[in-house]
Amino acid sequence: MASDTTLIIGGGPAGLEAARLIGDLGQKAILVENRDALGGIPIAEHYAALTHGFLSAEEAMNELINAAKANPSVSIRTGSEVVECSGAAGDFTVKIAKSGNGVGESINVGSIIVATGFQHFDPGRETQMYGYYEYDDVITLADAEKMLKENKFVTPSKGTPPQRVCFIQCVGSRDRQIGNEYCSKVCCGISSKQAIEIRQQVPGAKVFIFYIDMRMYGYWENEIYWPAQEKYHVQYVKGIITEIIRKGDRLIVRGEDTTMGRPMEVPMDVVVLAVGMEPSKGTKEVAKILGVQQNKYNFIDVPHGLDPTATSVPGIFVAGAAAGPKDLDDTMAMAGAAAMKAAALIAKKSRVTA
Amino acid sequence: MTIPYDAVNTKSSRTFERQAEYAPKDYHEHLFELEHEGEWIVQRVPEPYVEVMTKFGRKKKIPLELTWHHKSCGQCGHIPGYSTAIFWLNRKLNFKYIDPTDQTSCTAWNYYASATSNAAAQAGVGMRNFAAAYETGYFPIIHCGTSYGHYKEMREQLMHHEDIRHQVRDVMKKLKKPMVMPEEIVHYSEWIHAVRDRIAAKQTLDFSNIAVAVHPACHYYKLVQEDAIYDPDIYGGQRTATVSATVIALGAEVRDYSTWFDCCGFGFRHILVQRDFTRSFATRRKIEVMKEEANPDVVITHDTGCVTTLDKSQFVGAAHGLNVGVPVMSDAQFAALAMGAHPYRVCQLHWHSTEYRPLLEKMNIDHEKAWAEFQEDLKKLKSGEKEYISWEDIDA
Amino acid sequence: MGLFKDKYPDVAYEEKERLWEAVKADSRFPAYLYGCYECGICVAACPSARFYDFSPRKIAQAAAREDVELIYEQMNDDVWNCSQCFSCNRCPRQNSPGGLITIIREVSVKNGLRSAKQALEGYGRVIYKIMGTGTQVSPDMLQPDAFPDWGPQVREVSAELDLWRRALPPETLHTTSTGWQVDDKTIIELYLIWHNTGVMDMIAAVDEGLHMILNDVMEEKLEEAGYEV
Repeated sequence: MASDTTLIIGGGPAGLEAARLIGDLGQKAILVENRDALGGIPIAEHYAALTHGFLSAEEAMNELINAAKANPSVSIRTGSEVVECSGAAGDFTVKIAKSGNGVGESINVGSIIVATGFQHFDPGRETQMYGYYEYDDVITLADAEKMLKENKFVTPSKGTPPQRVCFIQCVGSRDRQIGNEYCSKVCCGISSKQAIEIRQQVPGAKVFIFYIDMRMYGYWENEIYWPAQEKYHVQYVKGIITEIIRKGDRLIVRGEDTTMGRPMEVPMDVVVLAVGMEPSKGTKEVAKILGVQQNKYNFIDVPHGLDPTATSVPGIFVAGAAAGPKDLDDTMAMAGAAAMKAAALIAKKSRVTA
Repeated sequence: MTIPYDAVNTKSSRTFERQAEYAPKDYHEHLFELEHEGEWIVQRVPEPYVEVMTKFGRKKKIPLELTWHHKSCGQCGHIPGYSTAIFWLNRKLNFKYIDPTDQTSCTAWNYYASATSNAAAQAGVGMRNFAAAYETGYFPIIHCGTSYGHYKEMREQLMHHEDIRHQVRDVMKKLKKPMVMPEEIVHYSEWIHAVRDRIAAKQTLDFSNIAVAVHPACHYYKLVQEDAIYDPDIYGGQRTATVSATVIALGAEVRDYSTWFDCCGFGFRHILVQRDFTRSFATRRKIEVMKEEANPDVVITHDTGCVTTLDKSQFVGAAHGLNVGVPVMSDAQFAALAMGAHPYRVCQLHWHSTEYRPLLEKMNIDHEKAWAEFQEDLKKLKSGEKEYISWEDIDA
Repeated sequence: MGLFKDKYPDVAYEEKERLWEAVKADSRFPAYLYGCYECGICVAACPSARFYDFSPRKIAQAAAREDVELIYEQMNDDVWNCSQCFSCNRCPRQNSPGGLITIIREVSVKNGLRSAKQALEGYGRVIYKIMGTGTQVSPDMLQPDAFPDWGPQVREVSAELDLWRRALPPETLHTTSTGWQVDDKTIIELYLIWHNTGVMDMIAAVDEGLHMILNDVMEEKLEEAGYEV
């Protein structure tokens, strides 16, 4: 029997947007989120400002959350996960349980949208010697976001504002030895955004970004990159760091300044690793449960050229970073497209059945 | 400024948990596949063996005994206390071993220095040595860090390049020797690491007041990086742990310094024909930094070239007023001293250049008495009473 | 045509191309060079880069661009500065600039380039020792004039050499002309390996005198053992 409901797995920006849109179309949506709170990574990892227009991440996510909650056609289950799935497009039977609790309820849905997102690369797997597990003063983008949100950006081992901060790009991305050969798309923008925020919050700090390439697509060039250099005097150096090691009470970072063509060793107080995106645990588990194909990197595979939301299974769609590195523009757009397709499928099936 | 001891036992609040799903494919699959196809024999690690952890979590088998010792040309040539200490440790732990004369140098020092060789020749030399070990039934254990790294590379090349493998096979046929690849390529420092608790159990000296700067050999861990010992308790599993763990087991203090990952500057050809590079690099990038930041009593390393470079370069450094003057030795000699080995009869420290006697005093070793004993041995040789000193002569 | 003025205009382009093709023809080449995005990690880790005007990144870049004129220049002027430590194997693209250099050096030796001969001046004695006896830097090579910067300790060692060597407990070390005692049979096998893998020809290309001496020594031993060369 055809169902009139779409299941959305994941309550981050992609899932919330898709849920709201389906509700706005007058159809039913059930949203299942593994964590206890909605809002995905931006909330769970205490993001400060979004790269887009420096909006407050918390405010932006709350808007999405409230819109989804406010819609009477949207039913939300937090602290829950999908444990089983069978059926086909138009008529899936899905079992949902409280996280870690075995089978809770069985639901019947017509379309499924996978919005299970990403996790950050664990620097312990990095090819270079970054010492994330040796030094507290080596942090990731997520650690930095937390401090920036609280307006307390300090050198973790000392608790005082740093004088010298640097970012190292491409950590866990673009690396054949690790196996993550792809580019994580957003880290150049995020690092530049954070560099600006640090210069705003700690005006005495000197901030460097060590990069291989600066990926500043579209308006990021003029909205983020140029102001970072021209207004905030963030120092961009082409040359990636290979080693971080303690010297005295500071960290030494070693790299090559490729523009000047010589090796460099400079002291830093805080080093921020621009860790890349990997498929989240949820993405990997849900892919197996739903039987959708994953690509070489275990993200959800999108096999159809001009349709960025299609998976290998008809009736199951994907939105956001579950399909690979995405920025928020991509994510919101995909959520809209996926919601459209999910709703359209249900509308078609109901016309046929009627 | 000294970097404190607990830098080794990571001071960070974070713990790294290695996930099995990210481990690279185990090359042993390919190794055994080739055996199955008749391309070579894989010599299995004999029991008893100890398992140690390598970089991505794979367990590596380290044989305890029945080892065929692939000696180092540099050690045997000019730091013979290094080789002697390795054999002495085996003897004291009652492990059976062979010290072969049917062994050539791996010839990699020459290869990296002069390139007067090629991939097939180098692999031929390596495989000939492995075949010689196999023929005795004992398992090869490698004394030199460069031999070890070179043979790991050779294994990769032979696994992946049929043309090189077949060329070498034809040469082995001419020599009437089998094609044998050991199940593991084992460095002696991995063996010492694996038996470090047994060594510590037989320790007679107190090393708790000895501060050590560890120098890890480039060719040990930078070639075929997955195949080197890492330990989650040492530097959070983020740096190779082989020697550091041994030093800690012997009760000494390991001190960090900011050029830990740097090469010693051996250079292969540089130490012989472009010496200004080697002696400048070794003194300025390693010894001076170690002295300024860690102020160690001794530098411990696990490769021939590293001991040579770091020890011999200090004379000219001192002549130029650089901050040098710390003795250098191998983990084998250090462990042997801990177990009460004679500093001259076993560790042969008289072949070393940088002053080591204050270190021996700190270890409560009466080096003057030891030197006198050694001089007595030499007298017997000079007089013709003995032609050679043997193991039996020096066993207490 | 590369991007820069040719430093060796007297050498024909075709010759430079031929040498580059020889580098690419080595079985190991595909595993040593993928692509390069100029991150500079190799230079940061490289000990030679601190003392010489040397850059493993530039070696990888020139090779990736197949700029045969620049590669020829590097083959002559730069590759012998590399200390073959392989710190550059940290490359995230999985290149090995050090490995590339090993191949480039082999090609330059095989082709008897003058820069190879110059680089190996003073090294002939060591090549003779390793190829002829199967051990390297034997005890009797520890002469003060060979290692003047190792200090007076070398003088002491060389004066007491025979005695001190006889005072070593391992029997295999009771030698001075080699690092340890090597069986005759083992040496024969070593010679057969050199002869059957083209190494003798490589020696002939860079040092005719050395080749002659080695050949004589090897031929004699091989013939005694019943082998025809």
